[in-house]
Amino acid sequence: MFLLDASIMGRRQVARGMFVIAMHAPEIATTVRAGQFVNLGWASGPLLRRPFSVYRADGEHIEVVLKAVGLGTAQLLAMELGDRVSCLGPLGRGFELAGANAVLISGGLGVAPMPLAARDARAVGMEVTWVHGARTAAELCAEAGGDRVIWATDDGSQGIQGTAVAASPDAEAVLACGPNRMLAAVAERWPHAQVSVETYMGCGTGVCLGCAMPLKRGGYDRACTEGPVYRAADVDWGALPSHLAYAVGT
Amino acid sequence: MTPGVSVDIGGLRLGGPVLAASGTFGYGTEVPLLERRALGALVSKGIFLRPREGTAPPRIAETPSGMLNAIGLQGPGVEAVVRDYAPMWAEWDFPVLVNINGESASEYGELAARLDGVPGIAGFEINISCPNVEQGGLYFGNDPRAAAAVTESVRKRTKLPLWVKLTPMVSDIGVIARAVESAGADALCAINTFVGMSIDLNAYRPRLSFRTGGLSGPAIRPLAVHLAHQAARAVDIPVIGAGGIMRAEDALEFLVAGCSAVQVGTATFVNPKAIAEIHDGILGFLEARGLSSLAELPRYLPRD
Repeated sequence: MFLLDASIMGRRQVARGMFVIAMHAPEIATTVRAGQFVNLGWASGPLLRRPFSVYRADGEHIEVVLKAVGLGTAQLLAMELGDRVSCLGPLGRGFELAGANAVLISGGLGVAPMPLAARDARAVGMEVTWVHGARTAAELCAEAGGDRVIWATDDGSQGIQGTAVAASPDAEAVLACGPNRMLAAVAERWPHAQVSVETYMGCGTGVCLGCAMPLKRGGYDRACTEGPVYRAADVDWGALPSHLAYAVGT
Repeated sequence: MTPGVSVDIGGLRLGGPVLAASGTFGYGTEVPLLERRALGALVSKGIFLRPREGTAPPRIAETPSGMLNAIGLQGPGVEAVVRDYAPMWAEWDFPVLVNINGESASEYGELAARLDGVPGIAGFEINISCPNVEQGGLYFGNDPRAAAAVTESVRKRTKLPLWVKLTPMVSDIGVIARAVESAGADALCAINTFVGMSIDLNAYRPRLSFRTGGLSGPAIRPLAVHLAHQAARAVDIPVIGAGGIMRAEDALEFLVAGCSAVQVGTATFVNPKAIAEIHDGILGFLEARGLSSLAELPRYLPRD
């Protein structure tokens, strides 16, 4: 785990309101695994850091993807090239990649861990199908990876009309990220799927116990440490808050 | 020459005045990038006799310059602490105190009796100020008789240093401070979190599942400095200040206001190196002012 001041190296738009930010973070870029995250803080920012899955990593740079959903993310998007962000990571437990083929299913911002997952899955010889869904074509993340790409939109404006989960084929390894209710649907269809969950986080390092994930076996563990990737059937989806923005995908 | 910063807190000699606050440093194994040289002492996550699951999510909510938390003292219970953590603590070069909790005065005493004499445990911090449990917690902390009863119950079972962590949710902290001093406390910690609430306007309900939570962070610092000062004026035993300390200057405010040491909590969530930076900043301040030790730092502590 590293704590470093990372310069912002680039910013590009990948969907309506959705941006990718690149940062110079060499120690993290070379050690991060698919599904792990970084916790970002910045001067004049909110008190607590904000967690982001690592979207891509190459050479000395990492990328994260975000939308302006609150004051913190709005500030991050308003930063200039060369501005510095305090970057703590890589954090958490990522995806386990094994088998002949994988399907990577994402909804909206849930695309965040998938480019790295596609890279690492292909690196171990897996055939990768990329499935990405959003409400409309304009909200789909334009960047995709893998050997085959399937798009899904609620309104049918691009690709298959319906959810990404419904549009997805079966595979030996199923990886998913998106709103909680989407992940609950993944759990119904593929109990063995590996899902990356979103929750509020305090420290991101396992100390504060703020990111409690309710488990089917009872009790809670920490999304930042035992997660954020879980076996879909292990999470007690019904016990997760259902009213939060990240839970319903707004 | 490096100024001397060791302090004596109720019979316990600490290498420095900056301590890790309970619940913000786990059991000492979780915080990454730990710089042990800077840590005066660690106060463990609060424990009960039995394991506790903690509260349902959401457990935390950020507020202006602060955070609300309702973790609910999730923990493995006393036997796991004795088995899994104390042996490790015994090897460490800084003292570890256990933050103890109970639903009755006798439960606190029972917990102290179980831990007394276990190698690795240097003392106790009695938590009579947790706002996030249904039974006990701050309900012992806002009544001087109950606070004294809990302190006495623990005092009878151990000779180890005994600190009491006070709640700010009282009309006169001096009354509680004097009550626990008379009951045998060796030091006080002032203060634990304030009870707060924040509403989710989309859901028309509180942002925390527990409804309320403990407010920490810079938002509470001036309130905490005042209450720690009030406590220090009321008693002869040392007071450890806590509440929203992010930088060395914040810690120094508490020290000048009459505290003997400080606890740092929420800052560690934001910056895992906060304690080391605060420790170094205090050294730098003393040096810059030509003070050869922390004992020479002028204190503002008028007696009534």
